[in-house]
Amino acid sequence: MAERICGICSDAHTTCYTQAIEDLLGIEAPPRAKYIRVIIAELERIHSHSLWLGIAAHEIGFDTLFMYLWRDRETVMDMLEFISGNRVHYAMNTIGGVRRDIPSEMTPKIKDGLDFLEKRIKYYIKTISSDRTIQKRTVDVGILKPKDAIELCAVGPTLRASGVKNDVRRDDPYAAYDEIPFNVVTHDGCDVFARIIVRCEEMLESINMIRYALDHMPAGMLRVRVPMAVEPNEAVSRVEAPRGELIHYARSNGTARPERYKVRSPTLANIPALCKMLMGQHVADIPIVLAGIDPCFACMDRLALIDVNTGRKKILDFNSLRENIRRMRGNCP
Amino acid sequence: MEEDEILSELRRQLKEGIIDVKVPRKRRIFVWIRSEAFKNAIRRLKDMGFTHISTITAVDLKESFEVIYHFAYKGSIELSLRFNIPKENPRIPTITDVIPGAILYEREVHDLFGIDFIGHPDLIPLILPENWPRDIYPLRKEYSLEDLRGSILKAGRDERRVTAQ
Repeated sequence: MAERICGICSDAHTTCYTQAIEDLLGIEAPPRAKYIRVIIAELERIHSHSLWLGIAAHEIGFDTLFMYLWRDRETVMDMLEFISGNRVHYAMNTIGGVRRDIPSEMTPKIKDGLDFLEKRIKYYIKTISSDRTIQKRTVDVGILKPKDAIELCAVGPTLRASGVKNDVRRDDPYAAYDEIPFNVVTHDGCDVFARIIVRCEEMLESINMIRYALDHMPAGMLRVRVPMAVEPNEAVSRVEAPRGELIHYARSNGTARPERYKVRSPTLANIPALCKMLMGQHVADIPIVLAGIDPCFACMDRLALIDVNTGRKKILDFNSLRENIRRMRGNCP
Repeated sequence: MEEDEILSELRRQLKEGIIDVKVPRKRRIFVWIRSEAFKNAIRRLKDMGFTHISTITAVDLKESFEVIYHFAYKGSIELSLRFNIPKENPRIPTITDVIPGAILYEREVHDLFGIDFIGHPDLIPLILPENWPRDIYPLRKEYSLEDLRGSILKAGRDERRVTAQ
């Protein structure tokens, strides 16, 4: 069920879930399983970020870039299918380890895919940094200052694009992240452009991390035996999902059913920051600012209107907005 | 600061406000406090560098609610601050004045458990539909699945009626 929480970052949720339950049971996944978890998580990050980049291109009306990106994204989808048998719900994690191995025979094919992706992503970074249309639509759009980002508890690339160096993989390492070298990408731009660059460079980091993990994968078991009974206990598990910090809280009561299970996905954490970014923006920029946090939607039913002539702010909820529109329609038959 | 330094600093600041602490593993701290000491504890935590709130979890313990605030110290150490409140009068002061990022988490807990956060700017439903019955809180254990199913069906019917009008 944890895998079905999200159709894009399904692996982040299962990693978080299995870690929480392993913590409850007092067991730990074997080293090889931890490396496999990293490889799948980073492949998923590449697929999620390139999917997002495509959407961002579409939101600013650059559909050619959108189609190129999604074509290249197929490479990483094929790699995931090659390893796990599935494109989206990989079902790799299990409590106590992983379900499938990545044998050394698979390595050359995965590395070929990574080489291709690296070349393409570098090309996209060059294109994005030099294209005037993209610059005009994203630079200084949707500003989130570092102070606001911290205050509003933003997470993930949204936070890092405001220059705050914060990443669960580095700060609270899980799986094999404490053994694999990588850089936490940040950018001082605080705008949509910075969010694009941070995600692009994160993909390059992910590629290097996968290469390192493939080369340094320890031999050994894939999973450990799991005790049948769960004692009353509790655990907090955190994972850096593609969109940011994901947190699961689990509490057991000694029976086969959980006493409480709580999930907070990264999009919810970024909504207060999004409200801040949207204040005073042009209506035409709303789609790209909204897409800038890479939302995986729940609900947003408020709108702040600012009268540019008087600078007066007014917050309307969905119903009063609907009323206003009805009234306007009534006035112009 | 390391885990033990955080704990000794917190003990110095809150004194008898703290009931118990637990460090189950590296970078995880659980702190039980008295509900009166709660607002003060949040302010002290923020001064110590716990600026990020990950989420708020509530648990129905039949006679009372336990509310758990999950804080992160520099993105690293996850401290879960927790206390009990009586079920008959579930009211807590808001922390949005200290930590604005908690605004949606308080709304979520209000939706699902009916806990009032005094001073919150706008406790309108976040997850539940607008026409959800006022007195049904889905994650309270006294509500069965049948109760909830009934409410969902009713809310759906009302919605269709409004749309048809």
